[in-house]
Amino acid sequence: MLIETFYRQIGSEIVTNKSFKFSMPVYKLHYFNNPRRGRAELSRLIFSQAGVQFEDVRFSHSEWPNIKPTTPFSQVPILEVDGQVLAQSNAIARYLARKYGLAGKDEWEQAQTDMYIENIHDLLNAAAVPFMEKDPAKQKELYQKFMTDTIASHVVAVEKQLKKNNTGYLVGKQLTAADLAYYAFFSDFIEVKFGGAFLKDAPLLKSLIDRVKALPNIKKWTEFRDSKYPEEN
Amino acid sequence: MPGYKLYYFNVRGRGELSRLILHYAGVPFDDFRFEGKDWPAFKSKMPFGQVPVLEVDGEKMLAQSHTIARYLARQHGLAGQNDWEQSQADMYVDCIYDLHGAMRTPTWETDPVKQKELFDKVNQDTIQPHLEKVEQHLVKNGGGHLVGQGLTWADIAYYAYFTTPIMTRLGGEVLTKAPHLKKLIETVGNNPNIQKYVETRPVTSG
Repeated sequence: MLIETFYRQIGSEIVTNKSFKFSMPVYKLHYFNNPRRGRAELSRLIFSQAGVQFEDVRFSHSEWPNIKPTTPFSQVPILEVDGQVLAQSNAIARYLARKYGLAGKDEWEQAQTDMYIENIHDLLNAAAVPFMEKDPAKQKELYQKFMTDTIASHVVAVEKQLKKNNTGYLVGKQLTAADLAYYAFFSDFIEVKFGGAFLKDAPLLKSLIDRVKALPNIKKWTEFRDSKYPEEN
Repeated sequence: MPGYKLYYFNVRGRGELSRLILHYAGVPFDDFRFEGKDWPAFKSKMPFGQVPVLEVDGEKMLAQSHTIARYLARQHGLAGQNDWEQSQADMYVDCIYDLHGAMRTPTWETDPVKQKELFDKVNQDTIQPHLEKVEQHLVKNGGGHLVGQGLTWADIAYYAYFTTPIMTRLGGEVLTKAPHLKKLIETVGNNPNIQKYVETRPVTSG
């Protein structure tokens, strides 16, 4: 048949045939507008890398008292998926990573991806202590301790794992949410706050961070994000 | 059946959830416990200098307590019936992770008076508000289980948290306003495999 007729036929089938309905879920990620990245950023990176649309809902602290009782556990981030709600930053990240091919190729790789994400979760929790300290002198001391006690040994351990895996990625032979999580924490937080000196003996980790930073979808997201939501330092 | 070896201190702590999952599922494993003085020798063997660690078939190692528990739950049918249920179970266990963190300071306090004070504060500030929400969700889900219509590792995680030594000693009233959760925890505890393990496990301080 003529091309024109062919396409007209397909077109009308798409309109009338319900099985052609495209069912990409409607995602809404809810978080504070400050910190602008914080515990929601990993999920935003996963969405961006996977090329999945999402509504990036950010609210002010003055709005929080009204929003809080509507959340499952009085906390954010939360993810709305077609109206159903999921809480806990890592549960959200894990769900999205698995759904969009960023969680490794099998159950063991999924577990390794989880492990690295949970490492970062612990580091974020440890960083929260100095972060919350009000006294500037004490804060400086706590951050110093954090860098020498917590970060230094973890960087050594991760470098060893990267060397052992020998693919340039943390898990298997491909990018996973684990790489995104390490990029987010070490680049967006540590490097911004303390500079890159801590990476001088970790060339593999440094290379991974730089590689993630340069991924087209990640670059697109961070450029958009940094202009729309500049982070306070 | 893969060969599992779970490395951890001789306490319940962050290793217990995985032990309970394996016992519940009837899966044999090497429950390898070491004393504090032996830790330095093992520390360097562990991927991130921490335990628990799960060694599978003598070669692959997995760190992070909840990653291990999640992997075992998934391998042995205790993680939920579909992706959404699995993520809901994850969500609940992530909440337990936060509650563990909150209970760390009271757990390590040696002075009994100060310990009770710290415990009561954590209970009031963190546990009770959380339980109010959990009880609501539990009732909405039909009252039986946290996720879906069957037992998941989320139910086991809540059982583990609310039966720790400190909770048993100081937390008598903690579940008073959460009767459905209390009943769920009792149900998990009454499982024959869990009972058998609990009766024979080492008595430890934490």
